[in-house]
Amino acid sequence: MAPILLVLIALLVGDQITGPELVFWLAFTVIVLGALGTVLIPNIVHAALALIAALLGVAGIYVLLAAEFIALVQVMVYGGGVVLLIIFGLMMTNAQDDPLVTDGSQKPFALLVALLLGGVFVAAALDAQWGAETVSVIPFRDFGARLFRDFMVPVIIVGVLLDIALTGGIVNARPPLHADAESEGGAG
Amino acid sequence: MIPLENFLILSGILFAIGLYGVMARRSAILILMSVELMLAGVSINFVAFATYLDGDAFSGMVFALFVITVAAAEVGLALGIVLRLFRERRTAYVDAADSLKW
Amino acid sequence: MGMEQVWILPAIPVAAFVVISLFSGLIPRRGDFLAVLGMLAVVILVGFVLADFQGSFRNGLFSPQSGANEYAFDWLNIGHEFFVIEFSTYVDAITMVMLPVVSFVALMVLVYSIGYMRGEQRYGWYFAALSLFVAAMLLLVISGNLLQLYLAWEGVGLASYLLIGFHWERQSAAEAAKKAFITTRIGDVGLLIGIILLWRVTGTFDIQEIIHAAEHGMFSETYLTVSLLFLFMGAVGKSAQFPLHVWLPDAMEGPTPVSALIHAATMVVAGVYLVARMLPAYEVAPIAQDVVLYTGLITALMAATMGLVATDIKRVLAFSTISQLGFMFVALGVGAVTAAMFHLFTHAFFKSLLFLGSGSVIHSTEQQEVSGLGGLRKKMPITTVTFMIGSLALAGIPIFAGFFSKDEILHDLLKHGPLFAYVVLAATAILTATYSTRLVLLTFFGKPKNSHAFDHAHESPLIMTVPLVLLAVLATVSGFFAVDEVGRLFGFVGGIGQLVFEGEHGHVFDLDLAFAGTATVMALLGLAIGWTYWHGDAKRAEQAQGWSPELHQLLVRRYYIDELYQGVINNVILGAASVVAWFDKRVVNETGVDGGAQLIGFFGLRLKFLQTGRIPNYVLGMALGVLALAIVAFSKA
Repeated sequence: MAPILLVLIALLVGDQITGPELVFWLAFTVIVLGALGTVLIPNIVHAALALIAALLGVAGIYVLLAAEFIALVQVMVYGGGVVLLIIFGLMMTNAQDDPLVTDGSQKPFALLVALLLGGVFVAAALDAQWGAETVSVIPFRDFGARLFRDFMVPVIIVGVLLDIALTGGIVNARPPLHADAESEGGAG
Repeated sequence: MIPLENFLILSGILFAIGLYGVMARRSAILILMSVELMLAGVSINFVAFATYLDGDAFSGMVFALFVITVAAAEVGLALGIVLRLFRERRTAYVDAADSLKW
Repeated sequence: MGMEQVWILPAIPVAAFVVISLFSGLIPRRGDFLAVLGMLAVVILVGFVLADFQGSFRNGLFSPQSGANEYAFDWLNIGHEFFVIEFSTYVDAITMVMLPVVSFVALMVLVYSIGYMRGEQRYGWYFAALSLFVAAMLLLVISGNLLQLYLAWEGVGLASYLLIGFHWERQSAAEAAKKAFITTRIGDVGLLIGIILLWRVTGTFDIQEIIHAAEHGMFSETYLTVSLLFLFMGAVGKSAQFPLHVWLPDAMEGPTPVSALIHAATMVVAGVYLVARMLPAYEVAPIAQDVVLYTGLITALMAATMGLVATDIKRVLAFSTISQLGFMFVALGVGAVTAAMFHLFTHAFFKSLLFLGSGSVIHSTEQQEVSGLGGLRKKMPITTVTFMIGSLALAGIPIFAGFFSKDEILHDLLKHGPLFAYVVLAATAILTATYSTRLVLLTFFGKPKNSHAFDHAHESPLIMTVPLVLLAVLATVSGFFAVDEVGRLFGFVGGIGQLVFEGEHGHVFDLDLAFAGTATVMALLGLAIGWTYWHGDAKRAEQAQGWSPELHQLLVRRYYIDELYQGVINNVILGAASVVAWFDKRVVNETGVDGGAQLIGFFGLRLKFLQTGRIPNYVLGMALGVLALAIVAFSKA
């Protein structure tokens, strides 16, 4: 990290890149390294930590894209909620006893496919004519009003969805009751 | 101003890395984490397009918002399933769930 | 009741058939009287139709050249007259010859059957089937279009099958019925092809329209010849001409009254009727007409030679029928419709008389083979006399009917046909007289050869002898219908010559005395030969047989044609069939059907390993699909 940061600052000072660009490349580095860490590090707990880093980097990108609200939500939900849930999951599956995870048998094929797909995306992005690029900004304070005015129905539906997910999660995760065990034993 | 392609390439790379993780990792929870990466990549894509190409950049951001919300719900649910798998097979490895094998 | 209502005529026997076949168990006497009464009604109604016909004649509604009445309605009409099936009737002079023949002979046979079939199993069904037959035959002769004719044609074929195989418990009867049906079927296929060919060019099935088209050059001559030859195939089958004659001798397995009606007087003349109807078209295609002529000629001679050596009474009569039908076709072959129809008319009476007479003999002696008969004239006088009258008519002795009609044919043949054909037919006429004499002598004269049968012989009951007498009267007098004065006596415009016309040979029957004399001499010659060889104990005949046993065998075995056909069937047809069977078994069934199933199993067994049950494998699959899509989309953009 540190060497990269130094390189970038040097470039900034040398007028090669602008300020926002420096931030972009910094965030880029964080995200990519974090993502690679998530998928490559054998230690499951370390991988979870790499995930946090990546997601926070994404929040930074959102800021660059003038979507501050989304950045805030990203940090709160992912950084606060999701990663926490994942850590809980790790605890419940006794990851601490055996933190080293070997990778699956189809690693080479996966690598190939992922590389190809990524390649296609990059090529497509570079190849296309995107038209006039202007940065449009939504004022923060309008965001909420517009959300609950124009997108009222989706918001309510998502609320119901969360409700369902919550219920489902509880049903799945509760410890087996005696009645469950009997019915499972009978049906299993 | 940062060119649009930068963001798009970033989102593509992120998505690809996440895809690799889903296919290559063994532990169910790691797969879950890789899915998060994919979703993040997608969201960046949407927001980038919304900011740069859409005069009223609202819809893209709302979409990203909903993606984050649903992803959160999904993680909760998925972990429940992982726990059930763990209870049945004593392991969180996904290849333990192969009852539909030929 | 007039010509327009002629469709009622077949309807009555149909009703009789339905009622008797469904309810015979409940009706007294199993419904035989219903069939008889129905037939009587038909005969009376035919009289009305005849009166109407004559009335139209006299009132000038139609001229002798084109006397006819048509009635039609559409039964099926597709695509604005593109394909039309209609029910139509056509009544002209030819029809008016057929209707009295069919109805009167049928009536005689039905009355006779009450006595002959007494005590038989399935007595009711016999009368039902006979009624069905008559209905189909009547429909056939009044049909105005070829498709309806074909329907009736098949109908008589069916009835014939049912009646030949009436005693189906007997293996030989069942086989004979099958043989009859299959042989005529071969002809019927030809008939259908011919009908379709004619329809293709003219767009209609109506007989008169087709004839009109033929006369006005709508067909190329080759096409017309081919179509008419196909039609003739049907006639060859139905009228038992060479080479499809093989079924008629075997058909004698049926009850004798059936043979009298179907295989002497009516069904077998359907072929003659068909060609007579279509004759104007045949005149436009001379090659086809020549085929008719020579087929008839060959058949006449061949059958007469076979009749000379046959030992079963009914078989002799069967061969005689085939031969006489040949005579009719010869007449048609030279365009002499009048002669042909006249011979049809007289032949129906004397041939059915002969058959019923033989039935009388069989009924009383239980013998069919000549070797069991002899000297019956003392025991069965009425049968003997009537049978002799029939034979004299067959032989062509003057005053009896056969003389007039046969003479007419020979006369026309000499006038319009090749000389050698006349010579052959004349020889056949002599042979005809010979074998009929032989039959009479061996059956009714000489010493009885089976004393047991002879002792039991008795004259048949009235119900059987009355028809014999009536038919004998007709066999005697019907010849005189040819003469104009007689015809006028009955209210007709003239004799039968005025009634039926030969197209452009517009001809009035006249009696050429010199010619008639020659014919008489020939008939007497034949009679003399017959008497010489077969009178008394027939010693001379046995000697003649000794001269050339091979020739005798050839004739007895019917020129080995049956063996030839069986050989063809065994080797060619069954051989081809086995190839097809092999194809069906190996290619279609094993490779196609079973093979398809096995292929699926083969692949399934191997492809199942794709289902590992592991999720990452499935995700990989999905990702590959997405990758493919992405590449395609990218390359397109």
